[in-house]
Amino acid sequence: MATRFERQLEELHVQIITMGSLCEKVIALSAKAIQGEDCAGEVFETDREIDGLEREIEAICMRLLLHQQPVARDLREISAALKMISDMERIGDQAADIADLSKFIDRSVVEIPDEIARMAEKTVHMVTESIDAFVKADLALCRKVIDDDDLVDELFNQTKNKLADLIYKNMDAKAGLDLLMTAKYMERIGDHAVNIAEWVEYSITGIHRNNEHQMGGNKN
Amino acid sequence: MTKKIFKSTVLASAAVLILGVAFVMGILYQYFGKQLNSELEKEARYLAYGVEQQGQEYLEQIKYGDSRITYIDENGNVLYDNTADENKMENHKNREEFQEALSKGKGEAVRMSDTLSEKTVYSAIRLSDNSVLRVSSTQYSVFALILQLVQPVLCIIFVMLIIAGVIASKVASKIVEPINELDLEKPGENEIYEEVAPLLGKINRQNRQIQKQLEEARRNQEEFSIITENMQEGLLVIDPYTMILSGNSSAWRIFQVNEPGIGQSVYSLDRDEDFRKVIEHVLEGKHGNALLRLDNEFVQLIANPVTRDGKIVGAVLLLMNETEKIQRENLRREFSANVSHELKTPLTSISGFAEIIQDGFVKEEDVKKFAGRIYREAQRLIQLVEDTIKISQLDEGENPYEWENVDIYSVARNVCGNLKEIAQKKNVHLYIDGERLICRTVRPIFEEILYNLCDNGIKYNKDNGTVTIHLKDIGNAIQISVEDNGIGIPREDRNRVFERFYRVDKSHSKEIGGTGLGLSIVKHGVAFLGGTLELTSEVDSGTEITVTLPKQA
Repeated sequence: MATRFERQLEELHVQIITMGSLCEKVIALSAKAIQGEDCAGEVFETDREIDGLEREIEAICMRLLLHQQPVARDLREISAALKMISDMERIGDQAADIADLSKFIDRSVVEIPDEIARMAEKTVHMVTESIDAFVKADLALCRKVIDDDDLVDELFNQTKNKLADLIYKNMDAKAGLDLLMTAKYMERIGDHAVNIAEWVEYSITGIHRNNEHQMGGNKN
Repeated sequence: MTKKIFKSTVLASAAVLILGVAFVMGILYQYFGKQLNSELEKEARYLAYGVEQQGQEYLEQIKYGDSRITYIDENGNVLYDNTADENKMENHKNREEFQEALSKGKGEAVRMSDTLSEKTVYSAIRLSDNSVLRVSSTQYSVFALILQLVQPVLCIIFVMLIIAGVIASKVASKIVEPINELDLEKPGENEIYEEVAPLLGKINRQNRQIQKQLEEARRNQEEFSIITENMQEGLLVIDPYTMILSGNSSAWRIFQVNEPGIGQSVYSLDRDEDFRKVIEHVLEGKHGNALLRLDNEFVQLIANPVTRDGKIVGAVLLLMNETEKIQRENLRREFSANVSHELKTPLTSISGFAEIIQDGFVKEEDVKKFAGRIYREAQRLIQLVEDTIKISQLDEGENPYEWENVDIYSVARNVCGNLKEIAQKKNVHLYIDGERLICRTVRPIFEEILYNLCDNGIKYNKDNGTVTIHLKDIGNAIQISVEDNGIGIPREDRNRVFERFYRVDKSHSKEIGGTGLGLSIVKHGVAFLGGTLELTSEVDSGTEITVTLPKQA
């Protein structure tokens, strides 16, 4: 029979998977919202759900840290979880921002650039993969997510240039800027997916790529 | 056990040792005491004899060492003492030995010194003149003796205990050794102390019982896993904390995981919202089901809670791959939509032309033209129905024709002859490449297949294009491929062109004609003849469809 500690750790795992799944849902919805579907309300609701889950997971982490004093891999997993949920929470917020912006874009006047749809698709994919990497403890997938960020950055630059061109060619500047903001939020969501992947990598290997010299606990 | 044996052995030997020493000491002490007494008495008698003969001088003559000699007159006054000054000595009248000697002729007494460390033994003899000669000797008392002996005895005990300890440990391990080496797998075969035999018998019986139960449990487990492993449906059992307790390989296949995820949360297999809702519901005790979309597969999930004593202790999830069913449903839906559309188009024309003629809006000379149109549309309708009948016949596996040896080359020639006119109209050239091939097949069906392939090749071709029939013998099968350099089939349509009524050009345009059933007939025909079909195509450069038929079906 699993010990109490293992039980709590498993609960943490399940809650993070749930939160990840909500993140996937919320950005998929916000991507639909840009394409003109009326689902902003659902996005806001899911964002609130994500915020609630963050509190809950935080509480679980704190309970585990204070009552069980975990060490080594368990400690890494819990600390990584604490960091990951803040990234997930940001993803939820940014998806809500995108949904908010989508209300002001008049699709009968402006045409949404293809790049934005592709960015949405790519970021949804990245978030899904980073959650998958966490669920399966898959290092290769972590690295793929981290590498994929370059593609999203590239798409963002393309979108920016295209919007600049369009505004120059008499596009409604307000809509153009809204679209630019949307693209930027997408790009940020990609960055958060990368952060999640990095923390998953850390919880598996014990080395976080951004501060290897500080956290190389295993090496010392 | 070794410890216990060791301890009791050591304790027993220590007790025996101490008791032994004590007894020996007691006995020896007493023996020596007696000996001393008799010696003193002898000495006293000897001295008394001397004194009787020579008087007091005798005593003064002898230089006597060990014993104290006292000569006392009948009134108790000390006349002589060889260790003390007789003048200073008190009257001995009240001494026990003196009184006894006076009354009985001889007396004895034992007195302890003040410190109890020494005792003095007195032996007195009455002489003939009623004086008394007393000889006394001092020896250590029991206590002093014990005190003196304590050190050596302790040393001996210590040494003995060490020896006892060593021996005890050896003995203990020797006794325990065969017990340690017992083969509990086969308790009956051990030769060991008979005291252990009943225990071994019991173990033996229990072993057999355990074996039987294990065997039964294993058989049950095996039965269960054979049933679940051979199920097409995925089966998962989870606990109330969503942890997977067991699952069959179909379940892992459906979720596309390589290794069984037993011990993980079921959410690690799928975290889709619908899925989570069903799991949450089922763990609240409600039956649930949902249609999940996993990549391109549709999976029907049925979840049932497992309750024991009114408490939910888990859930059983059943997963069924419904992809094919759903695809078939879609196909059927599309088919009925298509069939009604295809049938309705010519009928509308027929009905329209007929109505115009009926209403008399048509000039006499145009009636013929209209009748021609009605005829053409009716022909098309007949063609359509015929094609549909053909397909359903092939579908049902009905064969109104006979299997015979067919010369494939001549069939190809025939087909080319039939299509010559159409080909010329579209300015497409027909070629046959290959040798004479004989194959056992059903001639009308094969002809139909080849006709449809070539017809398509011509219809979907460019001006001045070519259609080539390649005939090839590949051992126990023949290969007939129809290659054209026409417009090709886009990648996304390649899998679907064999579907009934499916057309790459969705407008169902009449200018090309055809029923949309041609390739479907080919597919069913080839399947009926036991062959295989292969399609390679590139947009704008042509299509090649290869039919492989066995020579002896």
